[in-house]
Amino acid sequence: MVDALPAIPHRSEVINAHKEKGGSVAAVLPIHYPRALLRAFNVLPVEVWGPPGPQPGRGAEHLQSYVCSIVRNALGFLLSGGLDKVDILVVPHACDSLQGLGSLLIDFVVPRQAVIPVYLPRGYRTCDIDFLTEELRGVYRQLEEITSCSPSEHDLLECIHREEEADGILAQLSSRRTGLQAGDAAFYRLIRSREYLPAETFIGLAGEVLSEAALKEAASAGAENRIPILLSGIVPEPMALFDTITDLGATVVADDLACCGRRLYESGSSDEPFQRMAERIIKGPPDPTRGSPIEERFDHLCRLIERSGACGVVFLNITFCEPELFDLPDLQGALQGAGIPSITIETDLAESMSHRTRTRIEAFLEMIA
Amino acid sequence: MSAAANMRYHLHVNIIGRAFLRLNRLRAARRSRRGTGWKSEVLEHPLKISARTKELVAAHYLRGRYANLHDKVAWVTSGAPVEFLKALGFYLLYPENHGAVCGTLRVAEDISSKAENAGYSRDICSYARTDIGALLSGRTPVGRLPRPDLLLACTNICQTVLYWYRVLAHHFKVPLIVIDTPFIYSEAGDHSFAYVQRQLEEAIPTAEKVAGRSLRHSKLVDITRLSRTATQLWMDLLGRCSHRPSPISVFDQFIQMAPIVEMRGESSTVDLYAAMLREVDDRISRGTGAVRNERLRLLWDNLPVWYRMRWLAEFLGSHGVVVAASTYTNAWGELTDLIDPDHPLESMARTYLHPILNRGTGHKLATMKKIVDHYQLDGAILHSDRSCKPYSVGQMDQRERLTSECGIPALLLEADHSDPRAFSEEQVANRLASFIEILADRI
Repeated sequence: MVDALPAIPHRSEVINAHKEKGGSVAAVLPIHYPRALLRAFNVLPVEVWGPPGPQPGRGAEHLQSYVCSIVRNALGFLLSGGLDKVDILVVPHACDSLQGLGSLLIDFVVPRQAVIPVYLPRGYRTCDIDFLTEELRGVYRQLEEITSCSPSEHDLLECIHREEEADGILAQLSSRRTGLQAGDAAFYRLIRSREYLPAETFIGLAGEVLSEAALKEAASAGAENRIPILLSGIVPEPMALFDTITDLGATVVADDLACCGRRLYESGSSDEPFQRMAERIIKGPPDPTRGSPIEERFDHLCRLIERSGACGVVFLNITFCEPELFDLPDLQGALQGAGIPSITIETDLAESMSHRTRTRIEAFLEMIA
Repeated sequence: MSAAANMRYHLHVNIIGRAFLRLNRLRAARRSRRGTGWKSEVLEHPLKISARTKELVAAHYLRGRYANLHDKVAWVTSGAPVEFLKALGFYLLYPENHGAVCGTLRVAEDISSKAENAGYSRDICSYARTDIGALLSGRTPVGRLPRPDLLLACTNICQTVLYWYRVLAHHFKVPLIVIDTPFIYSEAGDHSFAYVQRQLEEAIPTAEKVAGRSLRHSKLVDITRLSRTATQLWMDLLGRCSHRPSPISVFDQFIQMAPIVEMRGESSTVDLYAAMLREVDDRISRGTGAVRNERLRLLWDNLPVWYRMRWLAEFLGSHGVVVAASTYTNAWGELTDLIDPDHPLESMARTYLHPILNRGTGHKLATMKKIVDHYQLDGAILHSDRSCKPYSVGQMDQRERLTSECGIPALLLEADHSDPRAFSEEQVANRLASFIEILADRI
């Protein structure tokens, strides 16, 4: 398997290009948010999952050490000027730590950028969709105030359809990953470019990768000789993890990652734009931060394993991430009952890939090979 | 419910149990009259009524021990809108309170280790670990916890309860009702209020089905009225601490708060707090303070350190420090005005949407400032609680603002509400001593 994918524009290039064309940029924290709504205001969402690396800036002046590194690094990054180019900060309510960050930004840190918090309901009921529909209308009003634009319903639907197309292609990439001519690291760089590329650019790029020619070329270089594993967790950081997995003779054939697989939203059904955006998020794949029952998460993992042929699961947990930590014992117990081995690897965005982690993955792969 | 089960329940709870608890209360009252208890040279004796509070709480757990023989049981979060469940006759168990009991009795570490051995990380809330450890091992200092028929989780205190109750639902295979309360960053939108009310309306049929009976509006009104009266009395009680010397400290409040958390909506709770208020007023009329030589008055922020309450009370008391108010105990009374017994569901939606933990960090700072002003406090201790992120995130800025905007020195104290492994007594003693020195220099 080779790392042969089209060149992906760098995050800063994309931001500069969008701003040069008169657009605005929003830094968006994890996990779920309405991309189409931002794009309708000519605001490019650029996601901030940390970023990884030693914690920059003065985040530690505001947050205790037992807050997860995604949140600590994001605040440090903001305070060290890493987000100076963005115009808006969007903070979806995914957990208590992100709730705290959103509140700190509004009440104490008060950055130059406007802060838009979005509350995501914890359920799948009609009342949850109705609430989120109204919440998104509220976000629309805030964006209207910030940008002085008022996109029409038609504009909104156009953006929604474009995002749905991009998500459809993302889902195809995900399900056909073993047929692509790419290693894990390159594959995840490609699908994670959805975190900052405009949908139309992503559609072009991913479409190229999915082209029949590429698939034919790749047909002989499948993953049959590698140990197929499933990755679950929030975010695959450090990305050096993929090099380790490749070095050790394994490959990721499916994922249940918050930044990837848990955001393979299906197209909405409503013609009303706000409801359609709400439906898409609420009806997404199971996710503990949205209150999915553990049974649903287990069934989802089993389906992914069956479809992909994974023979083991690696739970990649960010330290202090409660939504993940609570489910692990039951999920691992149920997987064990189903004869599927699993391992938990704890990571911290502020730290690099440790030798200990490599050894543990190696031992796990030896066991399941 | 069989006649035999019914008889067994009444025998254990109403005959043997009640007599045993009464005897215990009389013994405790006698001990209290003899002046045994916390260091009497620096602290006033605990309230005489403490024995009655203890009896009430013990009776609640005793009922719980046999509840599966007699009642439908619901496990609920501490901030859950319980009035409709009470009106349907459910016995309510509060796993968080059970966690606090385990913390106070210093068995939380041992019980939570059962959960840790089963794979639950030490980085999750220690109440949850204690609860899961108790259900996995059957160990509890209260004898036995009843099995739930229904679970009710309300996200107005944290998202942790949602993850925790999903684990419980998976374990017990019983219905889980989630009342999701959108976090209020600044002001609650109408859609948030409508969302909570609608969830409450939709929860009732599920609860009725489990209870096997229909909700009577008049009963709900009565229980809501009792809840309001109890919270008003609780708030009156806390308000008495604005007197100098403060008649009780927050350590007394922490001990006395169990009924307002787990027995609001009951007439016995109203009677208890009415009597407690009389005793406190009596202390005020005699000029008796919780700390014998009150020199400094402090605010406590966040949950208690359950397993070191006595040590903290005595350490601070020995320096003439009374902790007279807390955002935590205040939270159980500050929303009294929102409770409207004539419109129970509507007022429940509004009340349970607005707890301090469901509001922004700036609102908490404003509450702290109000308390500091009302109770004439000299400083603040902010318990940075590893197990409670929603309460703790923001404290670093709140501490800074209390100092810069109110001129109030504030100390951030690292600990955990239930897990003693996160508490270093020597380190805390040093930090408190230095802090008290700073405060003393200012007066």
